[in-house]
Amino acid sequence: MAQEVCCLKAQLKEKEKEIAALKKKLAQLEKSHPTVLELHDKVTPLTPLTSNPALSNEDIMRYSRQLLLPDLGVRGQLNLSKTSVLIVGCGGLGCPLAQYLAAAGIGRLGLLDYDEVELSNLHRQVLHGEENQGQAKALSAANAVKRLNSTVECIPYHLQLSSDNAVQLIQQYDIVADCSDNVPTRYLVNDACVLSGKPLVSASALRMEGQLTVYNYRGGPCYRCLYPLPPPPETVTNCSDGGVLGVVPGIMGCFQALEVLKIASGHGSSCGQQLVMFDAQDARFRSIKLRPKQPGCAVCGENPSVTQLVDYEAFCGSAATDKCLKLNLLSKDQRITVQDYKSIMDDAGPHLLLDVRPLVEVDICHLPSSLNIPLSSLQERKSEHLQLLQERISELKQQMAGDCRPPVYVICKQGNDSQKAVQVLDKMSGSEVDNIAVKDISGGLMAWAKRIDPTFPQY
Amino acid sequence: MTAQVLVLYFAQSVELTGLKEEELPDVPTPISSRDLWTLLLRRHPRLAALQHHVILAVRQQYVAVGDQVVTLADGDEVAVVPPLSGG
Ligand SMILES: [Zn+2]
Repeated sequence: MAQEVCCLKAQLKEKEKEIAALKKKLAQLEKSHPTVLELHDKVTPLTPLTSNPALSNEDIMRYSRQLLLPDLGVRGQLNLSKTSVLIVGCGGLGCPLAQYLAAAGIGRLGLLDYDEVELSNLHRQVLHGEENQGQAKALSAANAVKRLNSTVECIPYHLQLSSDNAVQLIQQYDIVADCSDNVPTRYLVNDACVLSGKPLVSASALRMEGQLTVYNYRGGPCYRCLYPLPPPPETVTNCSDGGVLGVVPGIMGCFQALEVLKIASGHGSSCGQQLVMFDAQDARFRSIKLRPKQPGCAVCGENPSVTQLVDYEAFCGSAATDKCLKLNLLSKDQRITVQDYKSIMDDAGPHLLLDVRPLVEVDICHLPSSLNIPLSSLQERKSEHLQLLQERISELKQQMAGDCRPPVYVICKQGNDSQKAVQVLDKMSGSEVDNIAVKDISGGLMAWAKRIDPTFPQY
Repeated sequence: MTAQVLVLYFAQSVELTGLKEEELPDVPTPISSRDLWTLLLRRHPRLAALQHHVILAVRQQYVAVGDQVVTLADGDEVAVVPPLSGG
């Protein structure tokens, strides 16, 4: 009898162990594969953010190292959990920003992006992984953030922010962070924040520089107070043209996280009337004291002319994307296709192939027979480059019988700069250099890689 | 009166001038911010591309390009800051 009891007890203990092990396994699985996040393709009303009156034991442990800071404390931590933040753009700035806000225990994160993850994003957009290529950035970012802190409510928006949805969306959040990559979106987000009365923590980065300002905050200026007129589109450089070192937006995105956390916790931002500039080359921060908001501002001033959202692509004269626009500066007979150029190359007729990209891009890849003179050198009429060009034209003339104009084909990455170069060369032809017949190779080297030589690198 | 100031160029103004900074030995003072900007434009005509959307700062303080008169002292910093929009 006693032996039987003993045996049953032992069996029971064994089963309990088994159950505990199964439970643990289930919990682990659930943790690594959290409930599938729903990707939003339109703006829908959100339920109010539920807030806890006190920190749980798990909260206390998780946030203990920041709870110890008198600057934050329990009250600040509870304030974070009651705050919702909309992140416009899940790229180089938005990734580190979302990461630190989630880690710190922000209540709700709206993650907005209309793009999909590409290989060329991964050097700076650190929430996305190789396996996320092709996935919506908003979803990829939300999943990464959920893995980090499952208590943060994440709402991924795979949509283009527009005049039709921006106010409705922004109204539902306490703080907005502009992590976008183009000028029209920056004006759109600014105006929507002014119209909705939300602070806008805005940062930008390019090459080796970054900038940060908190707009529309405690009497400080808005983006329009500072920049009433958009820059002409042709003067704007984006990351896909100008390049950016990944850690630079990383630093600026972390800086945005800092200011968002200061506002959300109740501490307040010190960048409301300040333009902070980061110079990565010198590892230096500088800041410029700005004026307060301007009474004459078109949106936040005393008699605003912008009382509802407008057409920002028309206002800026450019599209709300950092993707390269296809310029059309030339007539049809001034352009040839990559296929046309391939046959010219195969026929081996005398001609000059002029690559007008900057040297740094020519180092990445180029066609073997090309002569490199950057567009800027042509525009500035750099004498050593003009001399080089003239020499090559003279050689061609010697090869060609008669007095015909030597053909010059101009190529660049995507076919925009090459068109500008054709215009410059047309002006120079017959005066600054001998007469030439200049044509643009439509679509540039990227078209060459796509249609003629699939082994040619794309960047 | 003139002052020797250090002009700092940022973002696109670095490309347009080819400089990160330069000393200007004989800047008249006091000077209106418009005249100060015009003086920079005369040195670097390509800066005209930034006209109307550049921030000018003197001693880390924003100055609107216009009638505002600034007094410069030797060693003062003048910064030319076009906006960045990338992310
Ligand atoms: Zn304003």
